[in-house]
Amino acid sequence: MAKRKTKSTFIGLKVTSEQAETLAHLQKALNSPTKTEVLLRGLELLASSALPPTPPPAQPTPRAAPPLATSLELSQIEAEARHYLDTLEQTKNRSEEVMKQMVQELAKIDQTVDKYHGDRNCLIQILLDVQRENRWLPRDALMWVSEKLDIPLSQIYHIATFYKAFSLVPQGRHSVAVCTGTACHVRGAPRLLEKVTDTLKVRPGETSSDLRFSLSTVNCLGCCALGPVMVVDDEYHSNPSTEEMEKIFSACE
Amino acid sequence: MPRLKSAADLEARRQEILARRDPDKPCVTICSGTGCHAYGSEKVAQAFAAEINKNGLKEKVDIRRTGCHGYCERGTIVVIFPREICYLRVKPEDVPEIIETTLVKGEVVERLLYEGEDAQRIIHEGDIPFYKHQSRIVFGPNRFIDPKSIDDYLARGGYAALAKVLSGMTPEAVLNEVNKAKLRGRGGGGFPAGIKWETTRNAPGEPKYVIVNADEGDPGAYMDRSLLEGNPHSVLEGLTIGAYAIGASQGFVYVRQEYPLAVENLNAALAQAREYGLLGKNILGSGFDFDVTVHRGAGAFVSGESSALMTAIEGRVGEPRPKYIRTAVSGLWGKPSNLNNVETWATVPLIIDKGAEWFSGIGTKGSKGTKIFSLVGKVANTGLVEVPMGMTLREIIYDIGGGIPKGKKFKAVQTGGPSGGVIPESLIDTPVDFDELTKVGSMMGSGGMIVMDEDNCMVDVARYFLNFLAEESCGQCVPCREGIYQMLKILNRICAGEGRSGDIELLEEIAEVVRDASLCALGATAPNPVLSTIKYFRDEYRAHVEEKRCPAGVCKELISYYIDPEKCQACLLCLRNCPVEAISGGKGLIHVIDQGKCTKCGACFEVCPSRFEAVVKLSGVPVPEPVAAGTEVKRKRGGKSE
Repeated sequence: MAKRKTKSTFIGLKVTSEQAETLAHLQKALNSPTKTEVLLRGLELLASSALPPTPPPAQPTPRAAPPLATSLELSQIEAEARHYLDTLEQTKNRSEEVMKQMVQELAKIDQTVDKYHGDRNCLIQILLDVQRENRWLPRDALMWVSEKLDIPLSQIYHIATFYKAFSLVPQGRHSVAVCTGTACHVRGAPRLLEKVTDTLKVRPGETSSDLRFSLSTVNCLGCCALGPVMVVDDEYHSNPSTEEMEKIFSACE
Repeated sequence: MPRLKSAADLEARRQEILARRDPDKPCVTICSGTGCHAYGSEKVAQAFAAEINKNGLKEKVDIRRTGCHGYCERGTIVVIFPREICYLRVKPEDVPEIIETTLVKGEVVERLLYEGEDAQRIIHEGDIPFYKHQSRIVFGPNRFIDPKSIDDYLARGGYAALAKVLSGMTPEAVLNEVNKAKLRGRGGGGFPAGIKWETTRNAPGEPKYVIVNADEGDPGAYMDRSLLEGNPHSVLEGLTIGAYAIGASQGFVYVRQEYPLAVENLNAALAQAREYGLLGKNILGSGFDFDVTVHRGAGAFVSGESSALMTAIEGRVGEPRPKYIRTAVSGLWGKPSNLNNVETWATVPLIIDKGAEWFSGIGTKGSKGTKIFSLVGKVANTGLVEVPMGMTLREIIYDIGGGIPKGKKFKAVQTGGPSGGVIPESLIDTPVDFDELTKVGSMMGSGGMIVMDEDNCMVDVARYFLNFLAEESCGQCVPCREGIYQMLKILNRICAGEGRSGDIELLEEIAEVVRDASLCALGATAPNPVLSTIKYFRDEYRAHVEEKRCPAGVCKELISYYIDPEKCQACLLCLRNCPVEAISGGKGLIHVIDQGKCTKCGACFEVCPSRFEAVVKLSGVPVPEPVAAGTEVKRKRGGKSE
């Protein structure tokens, strides 16, 4: 319990350490075992209008002075309750925002599906467009596509896992690709890939935890004269040295 | 633009385009193929536009971004017409000089020309040895055409073959012509195109489909890409002619989504062809209806197989099926479907235009016409080359490719991608045609030609291809899924120095099963890279297995890096570049590699100046005892010591 005080939260609400102390006192005074009950009692009191309409401005709580004046106790509870309601409102707003965003995203998928006239044969084309839009295939998106086209989700996952163009995890902001086509291979692509892996600390097919880089290998980019070649966000780099590579990567935010 | 309603309309339109164009007006063409694009061709093109404006030449000079010219080694390529002055390795900073010297004064910029033997400069593109030995009938027009302009294609006689077909040939006559030309599929198998077309035409079921296979998956081959990006109308024209002969009204192009420029140019071409009435209803007033849909492939090598490709177009997982009934009879949605590769379709208009006789006059007895190869790897002139069938590998690699760079020795050439095999030096005079390449254990494939020198390990090459195939196997049938995996496992242990006696024979045994029992061509040809390397380089395999030695110095576990104390000049280069700080020494002190710390990344080997050659790779021999720490270097004679 003592440790929790320093964290300054009260059932998920941010509170100052003084407020936290007061609440701890209250808990004792009310003889309630849990914090939730403290809050509920406070809300009850609020509801029965046993309180003055506006709370006095927050006053510094005198330390170690129990028992506290009842009005002060109550005003503190009211302040907390208001704070709780505000947070509730904010959460509601935020979730509405998230919902709105989600609806927008799904509307985009609707557009894509409409572009292909809802043709189930165009599933792969639709998924490619969704992938390009988001740089990965979020689960909600796949579920929506499944709903729209009336194709079982399992079948969509079959496709999403079969083809290399699709990713079921978010991709980094910058894509790094090392060509491992045959021409690049005989010209030293394995060594280049090793260097990139060491520098980025990311293995092929993975994304860095800060979502900065995704590393992949590709089979022939059609610029074999430059081999071995590394492509960073559509910029081609022919067999970059360690220093050049660090420069290229550090230019990526 | 009103739709063209007849062959005469098309001809009139062509004349109108030609009349508008002044053949003497200078035109700067900038290669904007994938290779040159990677070099920064777009910046060069923008520099030309800006400088031409600045010099007030906008009305006097045209700029054209063209498809791939093929000479990727020397990109960005700029050719200035009408004099056909070819500048190589052009950078944006060269542009003002080109404009000043060539476009204003009418002279050439010597330093940007090709430098031949005896330092002789070559002005015209066609005179450069790389181009001189080629017959660029399919790929050649790329350099004159802006892929986004149908007028450019029409100006060069485009769609004349289609007009000829629609205005005066029966479908049977078209089929007959293709049969007579003995055109074989350019995608790998080399199946006669005419026979395939006939099968689809005669198969019961409507509608029939025609499909372009642009799922070029071979790592190291990019000719289909360059053709589709650089000259999409030639493919569409061929496809439309095929559709007419076969009786199809719907076509598909299955193109890899990894080729965004090809998709973009193709879509632009489709829109233009529709606008001109060269696609859609009643093409050129002939009553023939045909249209094309683009399907982007989502990345699966196995989906290039015909039945798999068709399943993918249907929107499902692109896996092959047993082909007791060919796709030509029962393909897309169970209907007769004719699939040919990009290059095959692009060759069709030429056959119609110039005649089967002309076409079959090129090439060998069994393989007619030309073939485009991507000549890559350890070769001086990397690029796309188009040669008549029957040219020998030696001519392609040495006369066109300019041989092996850095004075290294030629070791082998790999053709046919993961389905093909390696061809050793002893067989370098093999003529390139479908049957000859199969005879030596390789295959034509789609046309990848990867040249390898003495520094390439053949076991590693076999392992590379199997690794690729193991990842790409769809896993439906056991021989392919398990067989390739087991072969890969054995190759991995051979490369790691853990090869056991009998491994080579075991590889051969598994290879046989995989070849005979796999469902589709991916598995059936998967053993080729293994079998051909064992066939021609068995000693190299033995060295790995028996002596734990990699003669080419490639397999990491079998090599050690060592600094020759006699040669080390203590230049500190390797010491600074070592990522794991395994090299000790200092100024004036011989550098020594701590074998315990060394990760064999090869950084020291790469940076050691060629005039010292102090860092060496050792394989199969113990690393000599290092010199005592702090030993001073022996300066070379003439070195600036003391």
